Amino acid sequence: MQLRLQCPHCGHIESYDGTPGTRIVVSCLSCGQQGQISFPFNHETAGVPAIEVSNLKKQYGTLTAVNGISFTVQQGEIFAFLGPNGAGKTTTVEMIESIRKPTQGQVKILGKDINTSFDEIKHRIGILPQEFKSFERLTVRETLEYFSVLYDKSADIDEILKAMDLVDQRKKLYGNLSGGLKQRVGVAISLVNDPDIVFLDEPTTGLDPKARREVWQVIANLRNRGKTVFLTTHYMEEAEYLADHIAIIHKGNIIAEGSLDDLISRYGKGNVLRIRNCSTQDAIETLRINGFDVISEGNGDIAIPINYKERVLEILSQLRHDCIEYDSIDIRRSNLEEVFLTLT
Amino acid sequence: MRIKVLINDFKASILTWKRSKGTLFWTIAFPIILILIFGAIFSGQSVEYDIHINDLDNSQHSHQLISIMNETGVLKPHTVDITSNITAYMKNEDIARLLEIPKGYGQALEAALSGSTSPITLTYYFDPSEQSSSSIVRSIISDMLQRLNLQYTQGRTLVELKDESTITEEFGFIDFFIPGMIGFTIMQSCIYGSIERNTKFRKDGILRKLLTTPITRSEWIFSKMLFMLFLSFISTILIGIVGWLVWGVSIHVTPLMIIIIIATSFLFSGMGMLIGRFVKEEETADTAGGAISFPMMFLAGTFFPLDQMPEALQTFARVLPLYYVNEGLRNAMIYMKFNDALINTFAVLIFAAVFFIAGVVLTKWHED
Ligand SMILES: Nc1ncnc2c1ncn2[C@@H]1O[C@H](COP(=O)(O)OP(=O)(O)OP(=O)(O)O)[C@@H](O)[C@H]1O
Ligand SMILES: [Mg+2]
Repeated sequence: MQLRLQCPHCGHIESYDGTPGTRIVVSCLSCGQQGQISFPFNHETAGVPAIEVSNLKKQYGTLTAVNGISFTVQQGEIFAFLGPNGAGKTTTVEMIESIRKPTQGQVKILGKDINTSFDEIKHRIGILPQEFKSFERLTVRETLEYFSVLYDKSADIDEILKAMDLVDQRKKLYGNLSGGLKQRVGVAISLVNDPDIVFLDEPTTGLDPKARREVWQVIANLRNRGKTVFLTTHYMEEAEYLADHIAIIHKGNIIAEGSLDDLISRYGKGNVLRIRNCSTQDAIETLRINGFDVISEGNGDIAIPINYKERVLEILSQLRHDCIEYDSIDIRRSNLEEVFLTLT
Repeated sequence: MRIKVLINDFKASILTWKRSKGTLFWTIAFPIILILIFGAIFSGQSVEYDIHINDLDNSQHSHQLISIMNETGVLKPHTVDITSNITAYMKNEDIARLLEIPKGYGQALEAALSGSTSPITLTYYFDPSEQSSSSIVRSIISDMLQRLNLQYTQGRTLVELKDESTITEEFGFIDFFIPGMIGFTIMQSCIYGSIERNTKFRKDGILRKLLTTPITRSEWIFSKMLFMLFLSFISTILIGIVGWLVWGVSIHVTPLMIIIIIATSFLFSGMGMLIGRFVKEEETADTAGGAISFPMMFLAGTFFPLDQMPEALQTFARVLPLYYVNEGLRNAMIYMKFNDALINTFAVLIFAAVFFIAGVVLTKWHED
């Protein structure tokens, strides 16, 4: 099997091959950091999709919160379920978690129908509900112990504390933690039964940028532990940064689905090079003569769509050749936000 | 039901309780403070005491006795004229103390002057729920009679004072108050405890989280009840000990008392669940809890005997569960009226079954 892992040290992403049920020591191809990775072993579920949703629908009176959606999440991937407020993300994820009853449709987790096998599925999933707050007057460690006792088989709490970088906080009361730490504890709680699939509903909403990045690190870490992650978010950067597979939900419908690259190449406008404060007329002229598509943005700025990166060098050397001065350049990458705006 | 899950949740509740100054105050300090304050108020009654006099003798001597009372400045005599049942009269007219001067009082004094002593007895009726003021008045009167005896017979007993309590045993206000305080405290902690569990924990996503873990509904409810019972017994023991040490209340631990405490815990936990079911916001639900429990506290005779209230309210009290808790506890642990206690216990058990079952059945565990 293959695992796509992110280096906890430098963030580099790489795929590794291995036999299920084994552990190997690897070193990061980018920074050289060493680490151990394990390939999860599971006879029954090998090759089965982690989550299969078909024609799932939820009706609240006349409001259709989720409108007959279908998608599949593969094992080992971080799946981002991306959409604005009120799009139907929580409704969907809570139907998958058997917390809400669908009006229509079917959900299978690791090949099992949630209607008939949820008691069994409970042991294979860990969830972090939206805006989750745990017991305020238990310490971090007591909290993890509390939830772990509910399961017959559970993971090593010290190991989870270490992996989630919570060792220093273990004796602090949950109620006294910062928002970011609370969310990290929330993720840690979802791991106490060593689940195969982790559901995180907006784990970074309301956090400051630094705390958000720390939670991202923790989520990326889950992939390294071989977990499938179902991540709900309305932050484009979050999906960009973390997800292997993205579905965009809007008003109860999935309007686009695929990998980040898929989505950008299908719906993005491409990358744009912007040159600031040059002698506009000369620049446009010389670039147009050389076959570039140039747009004047006023104020002496110009923008040139570029399809491959060598183009940038060509443009810059052309300007240099003609002695055209400019203040600065930047390249705006096509991103999810643009995809989203195109689609809606 | 898995024992380790029950213990786990019970342990978490205790830790949470121990670490919360607010709940510690309401479950422990508040009842104790209330007992001390109420006890102090009702044991140190103020300067002037009303005393009703049923003067059957109506002689110059009896009039003189009354005017001496008046001159003390502490007693304020009111003469009445009763021929029928005195106890019933006192109850109806809401009279706490009454002295009866029998016919022949004047003659006895006259006879004593001429050397023949035939003792005569005055009767002092009093309401035991105002024990302290009644005993103060009693000691003033007997002091007066002592001097009278000295004056007429050089100390041989001529005029005696006999006590007649409107209840057969001598129970004071604090005896009445302690069981009420126990019932009230259990009611408060159970209502607020289960409101928290059904509103705050729902809002915070803890209930949703638990739905995806193997904990069962009965494990969750049962472990909470275990904790509520723990709190109820802690409160009972503390209130009992303070009542006994400070005010000398003698408390009997009886099986019926224990049954009532257990049933009361289930009763008000069920009521809290019902409130949390229909009022979703925690703060609003707490307000609703107060709006139900505070009037009930007054109307069910927790702090003041019901017979001091208007007839209509007394009838109304009989539909309030707390009324049966209060009466049951009083009869089972203080007055030792077994038959009455049994009836009250039965009523509490019925209320408990209804509220607890309704609470469990109506609580919505899943989201819409
Ligand atoms: N219990 C409910 N009753 C009625 N309508 C509901 C209920 N829950 C959700 N809705 C409606 O369904 C729609 C989808 O809500 P949902 O909570 O799934 O959105 P979301 O994508 O999770 O949004 P957010 O980013 O705000 O969490 C919204 O219009 C919401 O008002
Ligand atoms: Mg949501």
